[in-house]
Parts: sequence; C-alpha cells; structure tokens
Amino acid sequence: MRALHTAATGMMAQELNVQVISNNIANMRTTGYKRQRAEFQDLLYEHVRRIGTQTSTQGNILPVGIDLGGGVKTVGTPRLMTQGTLSPTGADLNLAIRGEGFFKVLMPDGTFTYTRDGSFEMDAQGRVVTAQGNVIQPGVTIPNNAQSISISPAGQVSATLPGSSNATVLGQLVLTRFVNKAGLQAIGDNLFVETPASGPPQDGVPNTDGFGDLQQGQLEQANVEAVTEITDLIAAQRAYEMNGKVITAADQMQQSTSNLMR
Amino acid sequence: MPNALLVGLSRQTVLQRQLDIVANNIANLNTTGFKADNAVFAEFLTSSAREEQFAAPDRRVSFVQDRMSWHDMRQGAFEHTGNPFDVAIDGDGMLVVQTAAGERYTRNGALQINNAGELVTASGDRVMGDSGPIVLQLTDRDVVITKDGTIKVREGTNLTSDSTRGKLRIVTFADPQQLQKDGANTFKAPDGVTPQPVPDANINVVQGSVEKSNVRSIIEMTQMIALTRAYTDVATMLQQQSELQRNSIQQLAEVPA
Repeated sequence: MRALHTAATGMMAQELNVQVISNNIANMRTTGYKRQRAEFQDLLYEHVRRIGTQTSTQGNILPVGIDLGGGVKTVGTPRLMTQGTLSPTGADLNLAIRGEGFFKVLMPDGTFTYTRDGSFEMDAQGRVVTAQGNVIQPGVTIPNNAQSISISPAGQVSATLPGSSNATVLGQLVLTRFVNKAGLQAIGDNLFVETPASGPPQDGVPNTDGFGDLQQGQLEQANVEAVTEITDLIAAQRAYEMNGKVITAADQMQQSTSNLMR
Repeated sequence: MPNALLVGLSRQTVLQRQLDIVANNIANLNTTGFKADNAVFAEFLTSSAREEQFAAPDRRVSFVQDRMSWHDMRQGAFEHTGNPFDVAIDGDGMLVVQTAAGERYTRNGALQINNAGELVTASGDRVMGDSGPIVLQLTDRDVVITKDGTIKVREGTNLTSDSTRGKLRIVTFADPQQLQKDGANTFKAPDGVTPQPVPDANINVVQGSVEKSNVRSIIEMTQMIALTRAYTDVATMLQQQSELQRNSIQQLAEVPA
C-alpha cells in the first residue's frame, strides 16, 4: 500500500521542518543570524491512466488521467538574507552592516570566512578580531594609546593619538559580497564559507558600488520573527499529526483485509 | 456467485488508490505551490452476454473503476516571507521553468539566485523571462518585482533610476486539467497542449510572498474517514459472502440419514 510510504515521507518532511524552525527560534538573539526556511517539493508521479491515451479507434483521447503521487521531499533549506534590525550597543568596535556585504575573517588555517556579526574586539596586539579571536581582513591595528576610535560609514578607522589634536587614519575596512549570498554555507560561529553556488567573493569599500554602509556602535540582530516561526511551527505540527492519521487509516484498511481470511 | 466478490474487490482496489491520493495531498500540506488531486470514479458495466441466447435477459453487473484524478487548481493562501525573490501569482498564471527534460510550469514562486546570477527554482532550474533566463549583476541591489512580473534593480551606486533585468514569463492553459504533474512542484504540458501568455493587465505578481499548498486538511481528513469506513464495509460484505458460500456448501453436503 503506497499510502503508508507517502505518509511517511510527509512525516519526515515535517520533522525536518520543525528542526529548521527550532534552530531559528534558538538563534533569535544571535547577532547576524539569518533565518532558514525548509522548502518542499512533491515527489514523482505514477501516471496510471496517461493523459492523451486513445480510448477508441475514432481517435478519442483521455482528457485527464490518473496521477498518483509518491509524497514529498525536502529540496533545500535556503537562508533568507534579509537585513536584521540594528540595536545600539555603544561599544566602539561593534559594527553593523546596513545593506549588502559581509566582513571577511581570516581563520587560523589561512582560509577566509564571511560574517555579518560585527561584534569585534581588540586582541593583545591591538588587532581587530572577532569574538572568537580571528583577525578580520584586511587587518586594522589600533595602538594601545589610541583614544576615541571612530569608524566612518565608508569603513575608515581613525583614532586620536596622544600629542595630536587631529584624528589619525588607522586603516580601511572592506566588505565582501556574493552574487548568490543565499548559497553561502554556514559553518557555525556566525560564519559562512564560499561555495560553488555562492559565486566568487568580490571585495569592495563600504558605501560604494552597492555595498552597504557601516554603523559604529550597533549590532545587527537576527532576522527571525517570532510570530512567523510560531505559526510555521503550529502548521508543521498539525501536518505531522495528519500524516500520522493517514498511516492509521492505511493500517486499518489492511487490517480489515487480513481479517477476511479465517 | 463470485460476482459479489469481484465487485467488492473492484471497490477496494479503487479505495486503496484513493487513499494513495489523499496521502499524497496530506504529505504535501506544507509544499509551496502544491495543487491537490482528487479522484473520480465511474461505474463499469460488464459487457452483457448476447440477450437473444437467454430466455430471460441477462443482468448486467456493475463494477467500480477509477476514471481519473483531477487537479484542484484553486489558489492557495499566500504567506509573507519577506524574501525579495519570492513571488506569488494572484489569479491565473504559471511560471515557466527550463529543466533538463524541457519546459515545465509551476506555481511555486520560492525562487533563488544561482552562482551566475540567474533566477532559478529551489531545484536549480532556470526561471524563464519573456526573453530567456533572467540574469542579475553582482552590483544589483534593492530588487523590485512589479505587478506584471518585471524585475527591476538599482545598479551599483545609482540611487535614482531603476534598471530592468527582464520580465517573468507567465502563461496559462485553456484547460489546466490537461497538465500532468511532473514532481518537484511542476506541471508538464502533454503534446498538443500549448501555453498561452497571460496579458500584462491580468498578471498580478506579489513579491515577498509564496503561495502555500491548496490542500484543505479538513476535506482530506473527512475523505480519509469516509474511505476507510467504505473499505471496512466492503470487507464485511466480502466476509458475509464467503460465509454464505461456506454455509451452503456445508448444508448441501449433508446427506440426509
């Protein structure tokens, strides 16, 4: 009986759906987190009576056929790369990107990762690093006697050094963008890596050529909306239950058949 | 005598197939752009034996046969997603998708961009515009899809004027029942069925939303209850029939003392 297996695909899909939703809810307060959504598609169909088959020698054809579907499959969990709201923190090295782009981060193994999480800190050498201590690219070093660090929307880092009344430029921050940012792969720690689907990285100066601008003293919140997630969760749970009922129904039908035999 | 068994069997086969259809609908409760299927049954009469050979006319026995399944093409509810590449088509019309096996048609507007900047479905197949695939540039931002399906972007640092990247090709069919489901939320047009373009004035594309599955869970659940009951009833009938046969065999075989 096909219905049993069809309902099983439905239950598996909804289980995965709940998994995706729960991850979104768990990351509601994660800086720079982008919500995911499970995308489903129907499986292949068996065409029991094929449309267009001849039904008589006079050339009459079937206007409609019988299509039996095989259930549902998960096709992907695309990430919604929409802008999260900015929340002020007041910290000098907290940055939020308003618009397109990612910060580039140098990993200990020499590879690059990309993030929207701009909660940066200074390490012992005065370099600007992420919360995990990885250096951002291109690196900016801030002398330990620097005062009132300011970062312009275009990414210029400047500070006032002792003995000088003018601000000294310490470095320029760069953003990276991708043709298909939804194709980036999340590797945890709010970091993304390039994939064949994302296209190659393109560096650029903030606030030019379609890159976003930088907001100092702000952090980008997750773009998870509680209402959406909860309604999706309810829908997923009900769908799961109903698929369970189909299994019960198929089981009952088989049982009444097997009861025929005595 | 065996007619009753065979008639019952024909009903049960059909009910099982109907449950398959209901199960597929329920499995796709949360599938974007999914259209529900429904089964239609027909009475199937045995060809009568030639009547002139019998003193009394032959009685015809009717069986059940599943005749067709039809697509419920009514519109599903729209869900707001906020994703600029999600489109829902309000009213008539389908998106055209270029797959390896040829053109397919879909109501699933959860679209993405691939690494070449082309507009694709979740399975990676290109979505067709009026003049070929729709390609976005790296520096494009603020994507706007207008009511008639035109895709407009702001290019680079240009703050004032829009650039057009193409227009979604939206088609309709004289009889959508002729379309065949091809999996992956797509429909296939059989030979001889050609899509008609929807006039611009009738297109109503909603950006940032997707069309949910149009499966009505209450209908599917009641249908499922009804068909399980019908199946059990037929099973009871078959059981009584075989009981009848057994009794008659036993009683006829009793030799009077």
